[in-house]
Amino acid sequence: MDGFSYSNIFETKGIEYLVIIAFLVLLIPFWIVLNKQSRMTKQIQSALGVLSAKILRIPQGLFYFRNHTWMYMEKTGVAKIGLDDLLIHLTGKVKFSTIKSSGEMISKGDLLAVIAQNGKLLRIFSPVSGTITDTNSMLNESNGELMEDPYGKGWIYKIKPSNWIAETKSCYFAEEATDWSAKELERFKDFLARTMRNYTPETAMIIMQDGGEICDHSLSALPDEIWNDFQREFLNPDQLQMPAK
Amino acid sequence: MNTNYQIALDHDGKSIWKFLLSELKPKGKFFTPFNIISIPVMILGLALIVYRFIYGIGSITNLTQDTPWGLWIGFDVVTGVAFAGGAYVLTFMVYILNMQKYHSIVRVTVLNGFLAYVFYAGALLLDLGRPWHVVNPIIGNSFGVSSVLFLVAWHFLLYMIAQLIEFSPAIAEWLGARRAHKILSGMTIAAVIFGITLSTLHQSGLGALYLMAKDKIHPLWYSEFIPVMFFVSSIFAGLSMVIFEGSISHKVFFSQISEKHHKEQNYIIRGLSKICAGTMFAYFFLKLLVFIHEQHWDLLNTPMGYWYLLEMFGFVLLPMMLFFYSYRTNNISMVKIAAILTMLGVILNRLNVTVIGFRWDMAIRYIPSWMEFIVTLAVIFTEIWIFRWVINRMPVLRDSPSWVNEPK
Amino acid sequence: MGLDRRVFFKLLGATGITLAIGKETAAKPTSKSEIEFNGILYDSSRCAGCRTCEYECAAAHGLPEPKAEVEVIRKTDETCNTVVNTYQTSKGEVYMKRQCMHCNEPACVAACLTQAMHKDKTGPVTWNGDKCMGCRYCMVSCPFDSPKFEFHSANPKIQKCDMCFERQKAGEKPTCVTNCPNEALMFGKRRDLIKEARRRIYEKPDLYVDHIYGERDAGGTGWLYLASVPFEELGMNTQLQQSSYPALTKGFLYSVPTIFVLVPTLLAGIHQATKNNHPKVEEDEY
Repeated sequence: MDGFSYSNIFETKGIEYLVIIAFLVLLIPFWIVLNKQSRMTKQIQSALGVLSAKILRIPQGLFYFRNHTWMYMEKTGVAKIGLDDLLIHLTGKVKFSTIKSSGEMISKGDLLAVIAQNGKLLRIFSPVSGTITDTNSMLNESNGELMEDPYGKGWIYKIKPSNWIAETKSCYFAEEATDWSAKELERFKDFLARTMRNYTPETAMIIMQDGGEICDHSLSALPDEIWNDFQREFLNPDQLQMPAK
Repeated sequence: MNTNYQIALDHDGKSIWKFLLSELKPKGKFFTPFNIISIPVMILGLALIVYRFIYGIGSITNLTQDTPWGLWIGFDVVTGVAFAGGAYVLTFMVYILNMQKYHSIVRVTVLNGFLAYVFYAGALLLDLGRPWHVVNPIIGNSFGVSSVLFLVAWHFLLYMIAQLIEFSPAIAEWLGARRAHKILSGMTIAAVIFGITLSTLHQSGLGALYLMAKDKIHPLWYSEFIPVMFFVSSIFAGLSMVIFEGSISHKVFFSQISEKHHKEQNYIIRGLSKICAGTMFAYFFLKLLVFIHEQHWDLLNTPMGYWYLLEMFGFVLLPMMLFFYSYRTNNISMVKIAAILTMLGVILNRLNVTVIGFRWDMAIRYIPSWMEFIVTLAVIFTEIWIFRWVINRMPVLRDSPSWVNEPK
Repeated sequence: MGLDRRVFFKLLGATGITLAIGKETAAKPTSKSEIEFNGILYDSSRCAGCRTCEYECAAAHGLPEPKAEVEVIRKTDETCNTVVNTYQTSKGEVYMKRQCMHCNEPACVAACLTQAMHKDKTGPVTWNGDKCMGCRYCMVSCPFDSPKFEFHSANPKIQKCDMCFERQKAGEKPTCVTNCPNEALMFGKRRDLIKEARRRIYEKPDLYVDHIYGERDAGGTGWLYLASVPFEELGMNTQLQQSSYPALTKGFLYSVPTIFVLVPTLLAGIHQATKNNHPKVEEDEY
């Protein structure tokens, strides 16, 4: 600056601001694309069949019961009941038989449905008492594909509960449900480790891989003695009586 | 269950417009002490504003050619924005550092920040000579890019938008707009990052405004580091305001807050006091460094020098020690006292730079007129009214509706 | 990933262009235009204090006629572009004309966010009422307090000397210069005026104080002063910095792009790193 003619020390500021705007706009796609990897990893993982707590779907607005059933109260006073994602992941594709029909009254702990896979059975007991208003007829007919959407199209019963406030005192909700599901997965791993000792080594090979992660649909590869044990430890009605914590 | 893709939920059969209208009706008692004081002030303030637009700024302020900026800029804008700094600090802690324990107060702080900026930017319009030309630097008629004020003005605008996006999920929950909620929640992290960057620059920018007034501000407060000082002090100013406002909201809106959040309150306040103590410790030493650098030792033995020492020791060092002590001894009431002292200290500091230290050597000092005070109060009260309206209707202090966490 | 690379190169390209442009501008000495600043040299020793310039300036700009009798030291205000003050000094009565200094790098121009304050390439600093929002930041920034504001008007304007910019465009000299009976005011290129001022000091060293006020003050001003007594005695601030005032904000304004680039990236990175942390909240801490 010689002091005799015009000079502007801020000459480039306008262009600089434009470049900043361009940078910020470009940063968003740049960042999103850069971090897309992680979703891919998750997808690959589930394709390989490793079951971990991360891939479980646990919608936060539902009541979860200790026998792996869920209940969703609609505004109309009718509740939907179904099976949770963890159970479905453990069993794999199953055939459905609903025991009760519309109009019947049930109590908590009554047999609601039976799921079967190649002659192996698991019994599902009702988490609440009330009157059945509807059953999902599509479940009986399908090959179990509806279990891909256990919280949506895979509902089993619609029931009008008679005592749901008292009966839902001992269930899980929101983040507690997520924590509980993760714990149940761990508990299942322990269960497998214990029962493995009682049975042939062939079961051991299927279960343990990748440093302790179990593969998806673990139960489908196991014999029905283990299914009976699983029924006793995880799905029986006395589970429903235990306190939530 | 079926997934809803309506834009607005059916509110018992009422249309969205009827719902909005019904929300406008006041809730609760009308003749509370706060209302009785604030309503006359707000009405008087409005009258004064009308008068100002007819007869010019000088008709209700004591501004002169030598002191063109007074209480409205020095207090409403500069100090008010410093106190709104809680929003960017908290969103940084919760969304960037993932400190989930503060999650419950993010929404109310962002709401406060948003309202503060809206109202203080609005108050700024009152201070402009030709407010209708305020669109000029915005629509591109004339971009004065060399100006710090240009930067500050644009940042205010962009930051208000960012905060609105951060807060909009609460609005979507109030209206029951699930699709909008999903889209807006996805934009939160981008708005947070953008907001924090903007805040860094405009908090320091407010200080940079005064850089060219080198000969006019008392040397103990003027330095080239004013922007850095303003930025650092905005951190603890904002957090102190969060503590202060949180304590009041907690009592006033007691019924809305869930059991879990009540228990969390003291835990949160303790955490914030620790952060304040640390920041103020750093700030004190920054000020010391700048003081040594500027070499104004001889000025300490003057009236302004004593005033400076009072600000530093009484309103920075003392509250810092109170925060420190109350954190160690878990003394919640002392935290609140420290917060109030800190806030007074920040007000003092900002006013020292903008009003008290500005043209401190004039024969006739600038003292704001009572009318300037009334207008300032009217603006603050209006902001509190809107705040109260929002809190009573939207899920800010109370928990979100259950559909928020449903399966998508 | 193909998309990733593309985005990366785009970013690299943008950065490269910025650096190239920036480097280019810094490398050139200054945007040397052929047009040089005009200025005005005020020689206090020739000034008789007749205040004709005040009357002529008011008439030419449609301002109220100045009062005939004045006693105190005055400043310009919203009704008056220039004043001539009388000082009682060791060398008797000395006169000093005050008005906008038309700085080389004006603080008001840098401060104005609407570009209402404009420094013309020929020198004068003018105010554009169509753009001004009345924020008064120019007043805060000006070291000479030249801009004056109509505080009592509903549509206030900024009032200050404009070096008769319109007359200059028509090829004439400013009103005060042409009407000064004692030729105390001289209009010309700033470069020539400084030479002239130096010549006067050299030829009459006993008459003048060896200092041209405005040569370097505030980075150099368009209005230059010669006086027979030290300038402090004439109400002039000699403590002003000798570099331009806008340079004081340069550091801050140039850190803006850096922060805008670094901080979002840093924040995004930290967010990515911490987002899978699941901090446990101890119940007993409540």
